[in-house]
Amino acid sequence: MTDVTFPLMSGVDGASGVIVTWFVESGDEVTPTTLIAEVAVDKVDADVYPPTSGVITLLAEENTEIRQGTVIAQVT
Amino acid sequence: MTSTLSNKQSLALAVEPEAGKRKLSTAKAMQEAISQRMARDESVFVMGEDVGAYGGIFSSTTGLLDTFGPERVRDTPISESAFIGLGIGPAVEGMRPIVELMFADFFGVCMDQIYNHMAKIHYESGGNVRVPMVLMMAAGGGYSDGAQHSQCLWGTFAHLPGMKVVVPSNPYDAKGLMTAAIESDDPVVFVFHKGVMGLGWMAKNERSIGAVPEEEYVVPIGKARVSREGTDVTIVTISLSVHHSLDVAEKLASEGISVEVIDLRSLVPLDREAIVRSVSKTGRLIVVDEDYQSFGLSGEVIAVVAEHDPTLLKRVSRVCVPDVPIPYAHELEYAVLPTPARIEAAVRDAVAK
Repeated sequence: MTDVTFPLMSGVDGASGVIVTWFVESGDEVTPTTLIAEVAVDKVDADVYPPTSGVITLLAEENTEIRQGTVIAQVT
Repeated sequence: MTSTLSNKQSLALAVEPEAGKRKLSTAKAMQEAISQRMARDESVFVMGEDVGAYGGIFSSTTGLLDTFGPERVRDTPISESAFIGLGIGPAVEGMRPIVELMFADFFGVCMDQIYNHMAKIHYESGGNVRVPMVLMMAAGGGYSDGAQHSQCLWGTFAHLPGMKVVVPSNPYDAKGLMTAAIESDDPVVFVFHKGVMGLGWMAKNERSIGAVPEEEYVVPIGKARVSREGTDVTIVTISLSVHHSLDVAEKLASEGISVEVIDLRSLVPLDREAIVRSVSKTGRLIVVDEDYQSFGLSGEVIAVVAEHDPTLLKRVSRVCVPDVPIPYAHELEYAVLPTPARIEAAVRDAVAK
């Protein structure tokens, strides 16, 4: 099982951000080239790709404040 | 003088293939269409305000500078007349520029380049010189950007001969229409509503995220889509208003009101057959358009039906922006926009009589 974390975008301990869009659902097959999410900190966006291939389970909701570095999904 | 059209390497692109499972936002779908085209065709380049490092203020060109470099992705000064002319020149020599005007509202400072040059060179040259250029721009309101940054204005471009005009509502159509626009040997005005881009900092409708094929394909310019089939009333609409109309149609279905939603996707050429076909079935027509009401798309759509057979129309109405500047104040702005509440009221009125 591999964790997918919210990217550390601010370089500040404890800073937060939001998941703008999940492009996949729990149970979807993903690979390291699958765009799984777009996240935003202030108005800066970043794309999130999984580190490995497998079946993804989402652990966080869109449009809620999340601390950067939090595990937002797992790939098994 | 004859323009040499660029090496056409993709005559056999798929036409509206199955969407598949991979999802994108409309913004990312546009980026992908441009990127795939640039990778295959060196004559394609992008130019405009903040299209480079910033990636387009509504994310229409994000990532292109990193992939293709500053030679092919060029930021311009705030000099719209100059850089639209700078697109027309290479276009008549056979290149395929994609020029972004940023806001549709800005056409006022550069309209001569657009409608007297870009749109008329093909005609004025007796058909000898083509202008294979895409003029891309953001449109629409809903986020308190005021009267000079919230207009749609697609009807104005559609009114003037010589330009194709496309206005996608979702990621699938955005990618396919962008590819078709770049491929077209005619100038194409590509208008995207900010509210369909899937941006986190705008009000986001779920319909702005959707399945998009990974390979290149085209959505034919001039072909409408029946977004939802119905039998009681036809809504003919475009862009963000398609999302609102589908939301209303879903809601009213539970009451037994069957709404057909036609997404025009292109204004020029206009898919008149699709409009007549649907109204022939329902007899009730509502045109929903976020552009100004008078002298525009809504009147044109109704005229299409009336000229074909006025007896088809049992009921007709339109839900548009009344002929006023778009207000800045949120409550006032939403009083003039074609909101789901206004669309729902129009449908109820249409089926009540």
